[in-house]
Amino acid sequence: MTARSYKVAGHVFTLESDLDIDEGLQNYAPFAVPAGSDAPAVFTLEIVAKAPQAEYTEEARQDEESQQIICGRTAGNQSVFEFRLAHKPAGTLVCEEGYRKSTLYLTDFAQRFGINNALMVLYALATAPLGTALFHSAVVEHDGYGYMFLGKSGTGKSTHARLWLENIANTTLLNDDNPVVRVLPEGIRVYGSPWSGKTPCYKDESYPLGGIVLLEQAPFNKIRALRGIESYAAILTSISGKRWEKSIADALHITENAIARDARVWHMQCLPDNDAARLCHETIKVR
Amino acid sequence: MKLKEGFVLRDVCGEQVIMGEGIGALDFGRLLCLNETAAYLWKKAGEQGDFSADSLADALCEEYDVAREQALADVNAIVGEWKKVGVVE
Repeated sequence: MTARSYKVAGHVFTLESDLDIDEGLQNYAPFAVPAGSDAPAVFTLEIVAKAPQAEYTEEARQDEESQQIICGRTAGNQSVFEFRLAHKPAGTLVCEEGYRKSTLYLTDFAQRFGINNALMVLYALATAPLGTALFHSAVVEHDGYGYMFLGKSGTGKSTHARLWLENIANTTLLNDDNPVVRVLPEGIRVYGSPWSGKTPCYKDESYPLGGIVLLEQAPFNKIRALRGIESYAAILTSISGKRWEKSIADALHITENAIARDARVWHMQCLPDNDAARLCHETIKVR
Repeated sequence: MKLKEGFVLRDVCGEQVIMGEGIGALDFGRLLCLNETAAYLWKKAGEQGDFSADSLADALCEEYDVAREQALADVNAIVGEWKKVGVVE
């Protein structure tokens, strides 16, 4: 069995598999570390190509952009996540208590999609108690700080990030879809990850968080600073989790409260134009 | 009445807030801010399990120096709000 270890935002995880999956793991290459050499893995995932044995009862499901995640539980109390692309099963993830040891059962359809989704779910849940949050966000680096753009699907997060790249000097894309945020003793940091949506941008880099902007489409450009509970509400829906599991919800709440208290957060109503990027930059840049 | 399953009271940056976290409450999609009295009543309602306006008014009178009639009016206003947004049943 081949073991591969990766370190994302300082947390190591290990994949074990006999399958020929290297081609589907290219986005993980920048995060590779020698197996077993570093800190203990926060989780280990075994990947196999057979049908799972256990049946499960559905608890909840998420359906976004023709991707479905069905969450459930087996009679033996294991958590199960089934991943479907356009309603066609790609894989089923079966997790032991605490998400430290799991198995992904792949079908012969959309294996890469199955692996990426399984790893994102496991990463979000296994690191939740460690002051870590997997966000749905585009994030740019500018003058040594990370700036995150949040919003519902289709709001224009990636577009706003691109407008920064085109209009604001010294700006690079850190991640286009799923960055990681950690609350650390020295402050809040944002990290690149192997998951970046449709944009291949897999950077093992991190920066102190400069600010978070919740975007909303509007026929004008306007930006407003948020405080406390408003900040909490702004970030809440952009963080991956399984809120109906109390230990996960409790852990994420601590992280979200820390971010809401300490991060600079704004709400921006905007057009997809150059002025939006300039106004945003002028308002939120760390001086 | 009882509190609907899946709704929890949390401290968000110093404010008392109800949010939907359980299965069946995930679509609540908002944060409900409570003042000190409402937060106290929410906790009492949770402890009581099956509660009524009367049982909460009793609890309010135990904790605060308030006339029974006023307590009942306050409870009815607060619980009425909870019913409206669908966090009690």
